[in-house]
Amino acid sequence: MLNLNPQTLKRLRRFREIKRGYYSFLFLAGLLVVLSFGELLVNSRALLVHYEDTLYFPTYSDFRPGTDFGLDYDYEVNYRELQATFDEQGSDNWVLMPPVPYNPLENHAPGGVFKPTSPSIDTRHLLGTDTTSRDILARLFYGTRIALWFSIAFMLAVYAIGITIGCAMGYFGGMFDLIFQRFIEIWSNIPFLYMIIIVFSVIPQTFTIPAKIVILLTVMVLFSWTSMTYYMRTETYKEKSRDYIAAARVIGASNTRIIFRHILPNVLSTLVTFMPFTVVSAITAITALDFLGFGLPAPTPSLGELLKQGTATLRTAPWIVMSAFGTLVILLTIVTFIGEAVRESFDPKKFTTYR
Amino acid sequence: MPSSVSPKSAPILKVTDLKMHFPVKEGILLRANKSNKAVDGISFEIQPGETLGLVGESGCGKSTLGRCIARLYEPTSGSIEFEGNDITKLKGRALMPYRQNIQMIFQDPMESLNSRHTIGDILEEPYIVQKIGDKASRAKRVRELLNIVGLPTRSITRYPFEFSGGQRQRIGIARSIALNPKLVVCDEPVSALDVSIQSQILNLLVDLQKEFNLAYLFIAHDLAVVKHISDRIAIMYLGNIVEESTGESIYHEPRHPYTKSLISAIPIPDPHRRVKREIISGDVPSPINPPSGCRFHPRCPRVMERCKLEAPLLRTVADHQVCCHLDDL
Repeated sequence: MLNLNPQTLKRLRRFREIKRGYYSFLFLAGLLVVLSFGELLVNSRALLVHYEDTLYFPTYSDFRPGTDFGLDYDYEVNYRELQATFDEQGSDNWVLMPPVPYNPLENHAPGGVFKPTSPSIDTRHLLGTDTTSRDILARLFYGTRIALWFSIAFMLAVYAIGITIGCAMGYFGGMFDLIFQRFIEIWSNIPFLYMIIIVFSVIPQTFTIPAKIVILLTVMVLFSWTSMTYYMRTETYKEKSRDYIAAARVIGASNTRIIFRHILPNVLSTLVTFMPFTVVSAITAITALDFLGFGLPAPTPSLGELLKQGTATLRTAPWIVMSAFGTLVILLTIVTFIGEAVRESFDPKKFTTYR
Repeated sequence: MPSSVSPKSAPILKVTDLKMHFPVKEGILLRANKSNKAVDGISFEIQPGETLGLVGESGCGKSTLGRCIARLYEPTSGSIEFEGNDITKLKGRALMPYRQNIQMIFQDPMESLNSRHTIGDILEEPYIVQKIGDKASRAKRVRELLNIVGLPTRSITRYPFEFSGGQRQRIGIARSIALNPKLVVCDEPVSALDVSIQSQILNLLVDLQKEFNLAYLFIAHDLAVVKHISDRIAIMYLGNIVEESTGESIYHEPRHPYTKSLISAIPIPDPHRRVKREIISGDVPSPINPPSGCRFHPRCPRVMERCKLEAPLLRTVADHQVCCHLDDL
């Protein structure tokens, strides 16, 4: 059973009262759910194919050769063309496409020339295409999904390492603390951008894209956990010297028990307030890296890569930079609103009664 | 005089020449050249079911002594024997059986109770840590404990901040007796409370002592409180015990100059009685650089040349143990 401390309940209630932050939170949560099932909304594969009295669900299934549906090729079915073919035949066969019938990696250039095309409802490119004729809405959609999940994974990893090491430094103190403090001072002064450039120039091209993303995440985490340790260390030092820890020790509680049952729950509430802001900075960092070309490996859809294209074609195709910029602004504003509300509702001054 | 001072039954606690020096780190290299001699050579005994009151100014090391005995600190030297077993250097698991027998009550009950745990959690924790009983029997025991200290059973699901200071201290007391200890170190258990609540808590402590045959090491800076509860009283000054005797005797026939001034400082609720106060001047010297010879000599009204050079040893004067060079105590 989830047994919440009344203080925590009070904070949650306060968070709900701050409408701007609360609705932003609901919006972001909804967005994450929608993005997780994004293949149903933005995809070049059909949702549903009715062919010869059989229903097919190609979205999450394996690749289907064109011959499966009476076409004359054995590479992957082009469902948009299949839909047109079925319409021409006028038979019982039909295809149901997602609202945006493009995937973020395909170059859709009916004329055979890759060029940015402006937004249009007729071609179903609702936000136009980019310089290589890829659908911008699809790229924004999947770019946002990767950026958000990447940032959340980044935050969780940074907190896990930062909390563990910071807590250990504060709790055990002494030489351990001293050595780690010096180590962190040196470590946090290594320029992180150079490290990324070096790492990516060293790893072989044969690595798969997911492997490269994980490597990027690892490098970013390795150079970002240090700031968390400062908060954890001082908070742990403070809590450790309080009498309730002494009382736990007198009854014989082990270090593990003291850390997990007593210190961490008392310290974590401070850290929760930092979480949204860490996500904001992670989104900004990954976008900046993509913009510079050191971020997510091509052809992964990303906001930074769109911004880069957009600034290069600012005069000829302004819709690219507008949509990427707009998305980034909305995303960062939403997360910042959440952060503000969390910080406000966790503000200790709201609950302190001076005795 | 009956020799009630040193009955020769087996003491439950025997402390011999206990020293607790904290290193003081200074300079760029943080070398520990000096040390804070918070407890500097203390010896005493506590009999089963007895209360030893420990009195001293703030900063004299009485809390440090209490925490050494509860083994929150590892003493620098000397020995602590509990029922004849040396527990001075025990660590971790080896210390577990003694944790059950030696418990502690803290000064500020708000600080000593984890504000994120319910009263039920707090009182159950000793049993979980010591692996005693199952969930049902522990819950039953928690209700018993609340009953013993006079709190309603519905407190189980409440949090510490929902209680008053006195009630919180009752929770602290309930936790300290949860494991049926034989010795409880009470570190100023009433000094954070209202005067009206103090006596209730003191009476509770006295009742519990009778019921469970507890021995107390009762630390306080308030002589009136200590006199009420203690069988014997030890007066501490700057890391040493300067005088020890029965409560009555300390009160009516103080021997050491420091004790005399302490006793004479107790206000008497009679406006017509004039007492000749023995006022001592100055502050307690730093325990990092304690005075040479007798620790008390810079403030002593009867200081002699010898006091500055030679540290006095505890000696028996009538039924007192006194640490002073004066002949006419």
